[in-house]
Amino acid sequence: MEAVGLDVLTWMVDFLSGLFVDPFFAVARRPDKLVQILIQGVSAGVMYSLIALGFVLIFKASGVFNFAQGIMVVFAGLSVVVLIEAGVPAILAIAGAVVVMIVMAFAIERLVLRPLVNQDGIILFMATIGLAFFLEGFGQIIFGADPKPVPVDALMIPDGKIKVLGGLLGKPVRIYELDLTAAGFGALMVAAIIVFLNRTKIGRALRAVADDNQAALSVGIPLRTIWVLVWSLAGIVAIFAGVMWGAQSQAGFSLAVLALKALPVLILGGFTSVPGAIIGGTIIGVGEKLGEFYWRGVMGDGVEQWLGYVIALIVLLVRPQGLFGEKIIERI
Amino acid sequence: MIYREAGQFKTSYAADQAIFPILQDRIAVAIMMVVALVVIPMFGSDYFLEIIMINVLFFSLAAIGLNLLTGYTGQISLGTGGFMAVGAVSSYKMAILFPDLNIILIFLLSGLFAAAVGILFGLPSLRIKGFYLAVATLAAQFFLDWLFLRVDWFTNASTAIEGVPRSLFGVTITGPAATPVAKYYVALGFVLVFALIAKNLVRSQVGRAWMAIRDMDIAAEIIGIRPLRTKLLAFAISSFYCGIAGSLMLFLFYDSAEPDLFDINLSFKVLFMIIIGGLGSILGSFLGAAFIVTIPVILTNAPDLLGLPISSELAKHLEFMIFGALIIFFLIVEPHGLARLWQIAKEKLRQWPFPY
Amino acid sequence: MTTSTRRIGDTLLKLEDISLSFGGVKALTNISFEIKEHEILAIIGPNGAGKSSMLNVINGFYHPQEGRITFRGQVRRQMRPYDAARQGIARTFQNIALFKGMSTLDNIMTGRLLKMKRNFLWQALYWGPALKEELEHRKVVERVIDFLEIQAIRKTPVGRLPYGLQKRVELGRALAAEPDLLLLDEPMAGMNVEEKEDMCRFILDVNDEFGTTIALIEHDMSVVMDISDRVVVLDYGRKIADGPPEEVRRNKDVIDAYLGVSHEEMAAE
Repeated sequence: MEAVGLDVLTWMVDFLSGLFVDPFFAVARRPDKLVQILIQGVSAGVMYSLIALGFVLIFKASGVFNFAQGIMVVFAGLSVVVLIEAGVPAILAIAGAVVVMIVMAFAIERLVLRPLVNQDGIILFMATIGLAFFLEGFGQIIFGADPKPVPVDALMIPDGKIKVLGGLLGKPVRIYELDLTAAGFGALMVAAIIVFLNRTKIGRALRAVADDNQAALSVGIPLRTIWVLVWSLAGIVAIFAGVMWGAQSQAGFSLAVLALKALPVLILGGFTSVPGAIIGGTIIGVGEKLGEFYWRGVMGDGVEQWLGYVIALIVLLVRPQGLFGEKIIERI
Repeated sequence: MIYREAGQFKTSYAADQAIFPILQDRIAVAIMMVVALVVIPMFGSDYFLEIIMINVLFFSLAAIGLNLLTGYTGQISLGTGGFMAVGAVSSYKMAILFPDLNIILIFLLSGLFAAAVGILFGLPSLRIKGFYLAVATLAAQFFLDWLFLRVDWFTNASTAIEGVPRSLFGVTITGPAATPVAKYYVALGFVLVFALIAKNLVRSQVGRAWMAIRDMDIAAEIIGIRPLRTKLLAFAISSFYCGIAGSLMLFLFYDSAEPDLFDINLSFKVLFMIIIGGLGSILGSFLGAAFIVTIPVILTNAPDLLGLPISSELAKHLEFMIFGALIIFFLIVEPHGLARLWQIAKEKLRQWPFPY
Repeated sequence: MTTSTRRIGDTLLKLEDISLSFGGVKALTNISFEIKEHEILAIIGPNGAGKSSMLNVINGFYHPQEGRITFRGQVRRQMRPYDAARQGIARTFQNIALFKGMSTLDNIMTGRLLKMKRNFLWQALYWGPALKEELEHRKVVERVIDFLEIQAIRKTPVGRLPYGLQKRVELGRALAAEPDLLLLDEPMAGMNVEEKEDMCRFILDVNDEFGTTIALIEHDMSVVMDISDRVVVLDYGRKIADGPPEEVRRNKDVIDAYLGVSHEEMAAE
């Protein structure tokens, strides 16, 4: 019995030191690795943020927690790819995808949102789960179930890599041009969205709708137009996210599950905050890449599959409104 | 006319609180029992028993479990697959480690393991609600997926977990060698007992406390309900049901399965069952499970019968589309699902054929 | 009025120097008053005077930053609303807080929650002691249903009931808990004269038959003057008067608060 107790104890010590001590030694040994992983994390975070942005837009304007955003990203990405494969010039292919997403926004507003107006948020949430299933089946029928490579050349996305900091860290750190492009475009898009929400008349109307759609209706804001508009915008954001995600691996339906990672990002950032989506994305991206690399020794592969969710869960326990959300005061 | 309760007076509160207070219902239930216990096992083909009945039964159990949590207590969960995995894996482990342990006991214990895990992942429900909680339960789903795939101990270092052959009263009831009839009876037994227990819970004080939390948590607290304790009990009992359903799924249907069978799509499937069947209805859990189980079967068989062969892949994609569309349809038209439609039908039947 | 048959007893709840603020906004400032056993106390005041906040403090939903609450002679530590319920404090709400998906019967049964002792394993069986307990409490609830004359809507989901009946069901739920202190937040708001008369009768009967202490918020002055033993008046989070209805009616500060003008102005006219 004593021997077993000792075994368990040594195992515990090993496990805990593997979690909390060894990583620091590993960092000291190979600082370049740490920098490399941080860069990987940030670029993964940018990708999550791109999807999260679409969520935030829709949530802000319609209070709908759009579970189908991930599948919309896949849909948008594949539309571009399929059009290019059919010989359409890249710029027209993107325009075509924009049309597809706008048509989709109209259809969703007419068939899903309008009949469910004034329902509980949770009912709408479940409806978007249904929507996600529908789009997945529909998409696989029209695009085929196999993932497709994104023609980066046709889209003129650079896909080389740059080596930097070789002198400082002993070994150089690789940065992919693809990630840089994604980050650059992402920043541009965030800026555009923030300006749109805060500076334009329609942006303000959109925020009013988010606060209280009954009240917004009563002061003459056309609810339906706003909804179509914001779902179209989220669709356009999805095109970009889909192309960039696809360029990193391939554009396929397995991305939809990966896109669920945007959910913990949203929880961290608060559902209505655009900067929150970016910062949340970075925290989750960096956190899970660090965990994946430094905890591989004790936990094996795949830590990144769940670490983001657990980080979000812990944050929720401390701050139920997320890092940037407003404090909820309950009234009765 | 045929469904008329006039003249049936109740003289005690006990009679008024029976599950089926109306005579016609009691007759219908008795007939259904005879069909389930005698007719189906006697005349049903093996295909019908396995592909339809056993599937419907263990899914009903999972759907009841999720319905207790989501439909009655209002805590939405996307971790059902994970909790079912806990049940399946723990009953597999116990069957291997303790060869002499009775298989029924193993199933029950696997439910307890799932309940413990459910409590753990239910803790965040103290502070978070609605879709925030849904995301939190995704943490359970993905963590458990990973755990059972990566940690060899759970799968005894093989790629699959197995429904170990076991017998009860000399009859083999689990594993590949067991007959569909034997498996069917085991599944039916569990489902009948636990459906009754679930019904008892929801018509007692526990169930009323759950529904109070669902309908208005602040008011519930003010009349003396402890929110955390009540929610955790819902998580525990719900996961207990899901855990047993997971065990039955492995031991009575798949016989051998990779742990990723219990992935997030399974969670969605069970969620769809309760939305279509009816949130907050035990009967609805059965109807939803039957509905979702039979649709793919019809989809794969009907086109052939009609002379329109479609590939199995296309059938799969159509299934996704149909499920998705149905969910939206039900949420729009009848948020209370098939169970409510049944209730409406009963109300019509009371007067039929002379509505005025 | 049958005040003569009731005996107003000792202090049940004592509030001393209660102050409550939300992020710098003061809701209540230095409020002290007592609620005595068996009395009907009315809390009145203009909109936003802090009346509902006062009830929320009493049943533990809000935690005042300053002050002391003594219930039955014991100083109360910070508590959650369910602790207050355990001490025998029940209430109704300004915006009805019923469980909309449940029937009238089930809603009122929830009021018996703290009195039922069988754990969930017994309830899972719904047999023997659990069944006996369920039926016993059903009997009590049926008495409440008879008392409030809502037999006909026993099995109706409360979400489908008209406003006045919902208010009545909510009172039923609070009564089912057999509270020592019953807090009623605008029990007659939005009712027509007939419904108000019914509600008044119920409140007086409860107080009379069961000796329940009642603290209520009400806007209808004639109701307040008719049924209450004592009136506390709040304005801008402060207590401006406390005494028997007749006295309060003549109080200058109270008249000012309600008319929103000062005496100087009135004198000038």
